[in-house]
Amino acid sequence: MTPPATSPPAAPDPSSSGPPAPPPLAAQAPAVRRARTRRRFRRVGLRTVPGWIRIGTAATLAAVVLLVAATMAAVGDAREGMRTVGHDAGRQVMATGTLYFALSDMDAQVADILLIGREHDLGIGRAESLRRYERRRAEANRAAVEAAQIAGRDEARRRTVREVLDGLGSYERLVGEAMLLDRQSDHPAGELPPNVVETYRKATDLMKLELLPRAYNLTLDSGATVRRSYETDRAAVLAGRLRVGLTGALALVLLIGLQVYLAARFRRLVNPALALATLGALAVAVLGVGMLSAQAGHLKRAKEQGFDSILALNRARAISHSAFADESRYLLDPGRADTYEQTFLDKALSVLYVDPGERPLNLETYYDLLPGAVRSYERAPGGPPVEVLGLLGEEKGNSLGPSERSRLHATVQAYQRVLDNDRRMRELAVRGDRRAAIELRMDRASGAVAAFDAYDRRLALLIQAHQDAFDRAVRAGDDGLAGWDALPTAAALAVAALVLAGVRPRLAEFR
Amino acid sequence: MHNPRLARRGLALAAAAAAVAAAAGCAVEPDTGSVVDARSLTIGVKADQPGLGLRRPDGRYEGFDVDVATYLAGRLGVPPERIRFRTTPSSVREKALREGTVDMVVASYSITAKRKTQVTFAGPYYVPHQDTLVRADDDSIRGVRDLEGKRLCQVTGSNSWRRVTEERKIAARLVEAPTYSACMDLLAASKIDAVSTDDLILAGFAAGRPVKIINAPFTDEKYGVGLHKGDLAGCEALNRAITAMYQDGTAARLLDKWFGESGLKLTTSVPQFEGCS
Repeated sequence: MTPPATSPPAAPDPSSSGPPAPPPLAAQAPAVRRARTRRRFRRVGLRTVPGWIRIGTAATLAAVVLLVAATMAAVGDAREGMRTVGHDAGRQVMATGTLYFALSDMDAQVADILLIGREHDLGIGRAESLRRYERRRAEANRAAVEAAQIAGRDEARRRTVREVLDGLGSYERLVGEAMLLDRQSDHPAGELPPNVVETYRKATDLMKLELLPRAYNLTLDSGATVRRSYETDRAAVLAGRLRVGLTGALALVLLIGLQVYLAARFRRLVNPALALATLGALAVAVLGVGMLSAQAGHLKRAKEQGFDSILALNRARAISHSAFADESRYLLDPGRADTYEQTFLDKALSVLYVDPGERPLNLETYYDLLPGAVRSYERAPGGPPVEVLGLLGEEKGNSLGPSERSRLHATVQAYQRVLDNDRRMRELAVRGDRRAAIELRMDRASGAVAAFDAYDRRLALLIQAHQDAFDRAVRAGDDGLAGWDALPTAAALAVAALVLAGVRPRLAEFR
Repeated sequence: MHNPRLARRGLALAAAAAAVAAAAGCAVEPDTGSVVDARSLTIGVKADQPGLGLRRPDGRYEGFDVDVATYLAGRLGVPPERIRFRTTPSSVREKALREGTVDMVVASYSITAKRKTQVTFAGPYYVPHQDTLVRADDDSIRGVRDLEGKRLCQVTGSNSWRRVTEERKIAARLVEAPTYSACMDLLAASKIDAVSTDDLILAGFAAGRPVKIINAPFTDEKYGVGLHKGDLAGCEALNRAITAMYQDGTAARLLDKWFGESGLKLTTSVPQFEGCS
């Protein structure tokens, strides 16, 4: 919306005089058109005092209308932004993140069940793993429904959801088969017969190659929608703030101009009604600009400290669970041990990347460099800065509150303990002591399971801290907008009434 | 005293303010320089990798990367006649993107955490795996561990051999060669026993030679589309285009066209994207 056409000198208010008379003086002054125009203005009474007052009043009222329109439009944009990021899509996107997590954890539970074989009480136990498997499957189904809803009429996305659900059917069939073979073989922990390994390979490959990528991409894609809408809405709020500022300035200049004109012409110092109107317009403009700045800030906090971090950390959590399951897969399928070790490393790197420099990028290097990276999360870092990347690494560089900062530090410390256990487990396995490796991996009291659960709890607390920041920003945004639907109109009416009240007595002097 | 000059000045000021407001109204959207808005594209590809990106004697480029790039550009609304391909060797990919000599890079460009700090990656559009190529009649090598004591090609400037001898500490005997194509000649002459690198690269070289890929993958690479750092809109649009490429069957067709005869196990479902950053 652009206000300029109403600027007064170019477009005289028609109410201030009758239609312009034909210029009979034209013949006398044929030289310059400009001079003619000036004379025409004089003839139609524009240069009379009431004419000027009428023009000034009309322009002022028009400016006030523009100010209100600009404010209302910007309030609408701010509300739209909060609705998308804070309420609808933002929350839905976070919900689809559970699809990836649930699917990935289903496969992790299957790996544990197959690994322990007939020793049903190892780790969290077969029964508990089965319960978790069922729960994750239900969660995956719910999240898929949610994802289908967000997809709306987007055919590509709907198709992806369908493919995930179809694939899930095939996956469950393969898992059923693997579990049946597993029960029939009645093997001790870690000694799976080839047919079980073969069937599980089919299932886990299907999960890894077809289901998980689609689920992950769905969340990324709907996250992209939120990002686009955030950028558009925030830019609109900021542009709206500029318009409110400019139309506010215009209204103020006109009000003051009118005031000065009246003072000069009628030799009065202050016109109280106009002065009040000026204050009113000033209040609307200043409050409006302030409110819109605050809204842009709330939106930014909700998006960056809330939405983005929650999405990244949920990804880190899902990938961590999947990496932890790669330890089980490493133990249950020695034929693919190298591959599962590599995927574990890849996942660890995507959670927390440490630059290996000249050293080979393998787990050994990672174990060595991780403590230094974790120390760099302390608030007063001693020693040279360590560059960390990956999902938890990038969090470090974000602007965080003290609560998030300390929880992030606790999370990476717990992560380091998970890697300590991983190292010990692999050392045992390489030495040939598979039994001890499996016992360490499944130990709930002090071993790998205990360390991983502690890490997972810390990570959940960290996510909660960002969720709180998100909720706070959304609430502040909603509260900040309260009343702004009616306020600008009411204020405008009051200002208009005051302006009219201010000029009316002066115009009356000419009747 | 009547003071029209003062009054007029007030009105003039107001008019100026209105003009500023009008100008501001149409100047908020900056030029993003995203590939989404491009009318034509310069795309960086490899010139020396058969099957992926190869420059033919007539100056035209061909390969899986070239076809993928052409498809993706089409999805962005850029027809083939408005695409210019440009040879972009591994060492200059970041620089070419930074300096804008290319708009995007589709050149067996692996996404890594480190590169992500300089480049925005769409995709991956394919996840190749490091695998091993041996002579067709050699049955002694079935997995990467079997390279112990075998003669392995060490290509100058490539990191693939490190993944065997350094990362996995498998004591293969390294034999230096300047390029993978030189490795092929060494392998044919029985001067080495194995070549280990990305399976798509192996498949490209394997065509028409008495060699085989052992299908024992041990890494996941991620071939991404490199964009100017920060082109998130372009990255998101390309991810959607890659999804479409798999959904409409083009990816499967192109993989079969370029690597179908190599005996390589190909994945024809969409890879897990890295996320735009």
